[in-house]
Amino acid sequence: MNILTKFKDVAARSPWLYRINAGSCNGCDVELATTALIPRWDVERLGCQYCGSPRHADIVLITGPLTRHVRDAALRLFEEIPDPKVTVAVGVCPISGGIFRESYATCAPIDQWFPVDVNVPGCPPRPQAILDGVAKAIAIWRARL
Amino acid sequence: MSTQAALLVSVLAFPGGLFALALGLALKGADRRFAARLQGRVGPPLLQPIYDLVKLGFKRTMVPLTATSQLVFLVTPLVALVSMLYAAALIPVPGLPAPSPQLGNVLVLVYLLAIPGVALMVAGSVSGSTYGAIGFSREMALMLAYEGPIVLVVAAVALRTGAAEGQFAVLSLTEIVRHQQVHGANLFDPVLWPALIAFVFFYPANLGIVPFDIPEAETEVLEGPLVEYSGPALGLFKLMSAVKSVVVLGLGLTLFFPLVPEGPLGLVVWLLEDFVLMLIGVTAVRVGIGRMRIDQAVAFFLKWPLVAAIASLAVVVVV
Repeated sequence: MNILTKFKDVAARSPWLYRINAGSCNGCDVELATTALIPRWDVERLGCQYCGSPRHADIVLITGPLTRHVRDAALRLFEEIPDPKVTVAVGVCPISGGIFRESYATCAPIDQWFPVDVNVPGCPPRPQAILDGVAKAIAIWRARL
Repeated sequence: MSTQAALLVSVLAFPGGLFALALGLALKGADRRFAARLQGRVGPPLLQPIYDLVKLGFKRTMVPLTATSQLVFLVTPLVALVSMLYAAALIPVPGLPAPSPQLGNVLVLVYLLAIPGVALMVAGSVSGSTYGAIGFSREMALMLAYEGPIVLVVAAVALRTGAAEGQFAVLSLTEIVRHQQVHGANLFDPVLWPALIAFVFFYPANLGIVPFDIPEAETEVLEGPLVEYSGPALGLFKLMSAVKSVVVLGLGLTLFFPLVPEGPLGLVVWLLEDFVLMLIGVTAVRVGIGRMRIDQAVAFFLKWPLVAAIASLAVVVVV
């Protein structure tokens, strides 16, 4: 194993998470916060850390059906995140629009707009599912480093 | 030539440089792990700060279009780190050769301790980001509040030591340590207790730790001055804050309690003291309480630590 691969393996143990709320009802955001914070499902075990600035992010967690109102802002925010990055869509809204699917004001599914790598369905998803999604995202991110 | 080489080694490797970097990163790792344990979580691996740095090395450094100067934006983190490496070389570490008097005394150290704060201010304002600008103004307000007390604390210790040694003031850190080894630690000198209190409050404010992490509050101003930094440039700021925690801890131990056994055992005891002070004095406090508002913090510093430091200095001068 050459030294660069070794360094990449080390680097993959430090995925920083950034949350984009694209018009979510806040249910998934509460799940994300509790997944990170409560003792039972601590994501810091995986080296994850929620960061305040999109410039520090590695894994992007998007919640919500992407309302028209936030679409441009969310796209701009996504571009602010330096490569390599991985996108995780959390909840059923990014996949289909969920309970908002017939609304004129949403742009779901969001994979028309963002390169989604991992989908975590659920309304809201269970913490185990979110952790599983983050773990899959880390594997994808490792390959992109 | 050989003295210059020795100075270079002391700044880059021992006791500044690599030694301070390793100790600082270990302190950060222990801090994160202990904070998680206090909250009932498992927490990250102890080497997490090192993983973070390696990761940042793989990321891209982006310079925002709004930055007023690319050069200043990229050089600022380097200036901050170098000033802290220099400061780490000034700290007398027991069991290691004493820092060379050519490097400077405690006054130089106080000046060097101000540089990372100024660097953060420059970084925040040069980035052109609104959040950076807010972080800049908060950092400046906080710095104006805590710089006064620390200068007075250092002056109180220097004058006290000087009075006992028959001089006006002793500014060499090595001399201050030697004086305490003969006459007992300043920790047990009631005249300097107010100065110690002021120093205890200076510590989290200088390091940007809860309750004084107001300039870099993630949830309020998106990490303030650091908002536009990514990749290796951000890594330099992380390294700077790791070394800074060692420097300020080392300064506190030097000024107030440098009594350790002779030789290598002294080094071990000194390292243990660092970890214990970090975990009890910083981690437990930061987990236990919330963040102050900037106006509360400034009012607080201009009230209690400043008064304590002035009181200590006045008593030292009078006695």
